[in-house]
Amino acid sequence: MRDVAIIGVGMIPFGRRDEDSLLDMLAYASLDALDDAGMSEKGVDAVYVANMGAGILQHQTSVASALVDRLSLQPAAADTIENGPASGASAIKNGVLAVASGYYDTVLVAGGEKMREVVGWKATDFVATMTHPEVEYPYGITLPGMAGMFTRLYMEKYGLTQEQLIAVAIKNQKMGALNPYAHVNMVITREGIYESPDAAVNNPVAADPLRFYDMCPVSDGAAAVILCPLEKAREISRKIPVLIAGFGQATDTHTLQEREDPTDLKAVTLAAEQAFRMANLKPKDVDVAELHDAFTILEVAESEHVGFFKKGEGGKAAEKGETSINGKIPINVSGGLKSRGHPVGATGVAQVVEIVFQLRHELVPKRQVKDAKVGFTLNFGGFGNNVVAFVLRRSE
Amino acid sequence: MKQEIRITAYKCKACGQIHYPYHDRCLACKKRDFEQIKPEGDAHLLAYTQIFNLPWGFDVRFLVIGVVEFANGIKSMGQIQVDSLEKLKTGMSLKPYWGPVRVEAEEPVYGLVLRPS
Ligand SMILES: [Zn+2]
Repeated sequence: MRDVAIIGVGMIPFGRRDEDSLLDMLAYASLDALDDAGMSEKGVDAVYVANMGAGILQHQTSVASALVDRLSLQPAAADTIENGPASGASAIKNGVLAVASGYYDTVLVAGGEKMREVVGWKATDFVATMTHPEVEYPYGITLPGMAGMFTRLYMEKYGLTQEQLIAVAIKNQKMGALNPYAHVNMVITREGIYESPDAAVNNPVAADPLRFYDMCPVSDGAAAVILCPLEKAREISRKIPVLIAGFGQATDTHTLQEREDPTDLKAVTLAAEQAFRMANLKPKDVDVAELHDAFTILEVAESEHVGFFKKGEGGKAAEKGETSINGKIPINVSGGLKSRGHPVGATGVAQVVEIVFQLRHELVPKRQVKDAKVGFTLNFGGFGNNVVAFVLRRSE
Repeated sequence: MKQEIRITAYKCKACGQIHYPYHDRCLACKKRDFEQIKPEGDAHLLAYTQIFNLPWGFDVRFLVIGVVEFANGIKSMGQIQVDSLEKLKTGMSLKPYWGPVRVEAEEPVYGLVLRPS
């Protein structure tokens, strides 16, 4: 297998983008990535597009073919990849395999989702379609609901506290306020969402015990990367190549109820283990990580399951500041899904784009993890039934 | 009249693993022969939540949803009929019945409903 590098990245600010279609967003992010790679007028061998819901939300299918047409990339091979909220990382993984195999040299991976053009309950319903159609969906369960049940179990088993989850929300919104790509640019305080008499109004229960500020927003957005063999990276692009040092992907039962221990996110552990093994690195070698904090609980649980902290220690670590930009392991310096937003098909690609910014040392000082060399991403599908991880390394 | 809980679970004939929902092969031993079994006894509450942002098909302000385990080991999601979460505690016993859980095309959809005993 050939080593694969990321030589260009692109992203558009996430948020409510009423003026842009899904294709507009995918095209803007892709053009940004082509320009970044120095391939503004060049073609690519293959295109992978990550998208979860255009068929439902936009009544549009064959999105990858449509993107090729927008970008005049014919006759490039093109596939749309759907793996729920982990579609983005799945699409990158497929691109990596295609380049590593020696079959394609240049691959564009773009992820995008347009969720704000439907009303709130439709967006909630769309995301809930990934629950089990017979034994979960009919009851009205939503992804926040799954996360709520999981949170209570985690609190009961490990003593996780509301204060620890609040620390995650405050950290991620503080960092999101510094990120020009983030949907939410509002700093929140402990008083405002937890301690004051207004807290119950400002931060109502959404999926008990999770509250409004434990949830990521519903967003529109797109992000893109260009892949090529590491050996050709310097010929094609002037940017510092970022090596895909390792990747992993694992699945678990569709329902939480069939897991032996429903607090054990086995697919997260396995995906991370595979990625670290392939990279010949360990969790302690990671300088900066983007975890899938669709809910604050997930950042805590994932930080334990991927090996940054022991089980039951992630919440305490967040409260002590160990996951902040100057902490032991900076997590979601971008603001995470919590602030950047979670246009489902775009998220896994956006996480990788953020880590590439970090490893190329291109961010403003307040957001740059000093001298970052190794990054990690985790993209979480379903309620942990399909998870994709990457270990990325700056290639000097 | 005692109402039937219309849940069918699948017990692997080779290793005894109980499956709900259905799988074509056993999660544990990958064999394909199952005995169909029905829930028996009270349901013990394993996990629960109260959700306020509801998907399509619900004309209520919130839903309380949980996962229970029946006395014979079948685990299922269900809607819980309580007005406050203060009435619930993990591990407590709930009375199961089969009732309407949502409306689809103006027709009720039936499922597992649970009430404190
Ligand atoms: Zn078996």
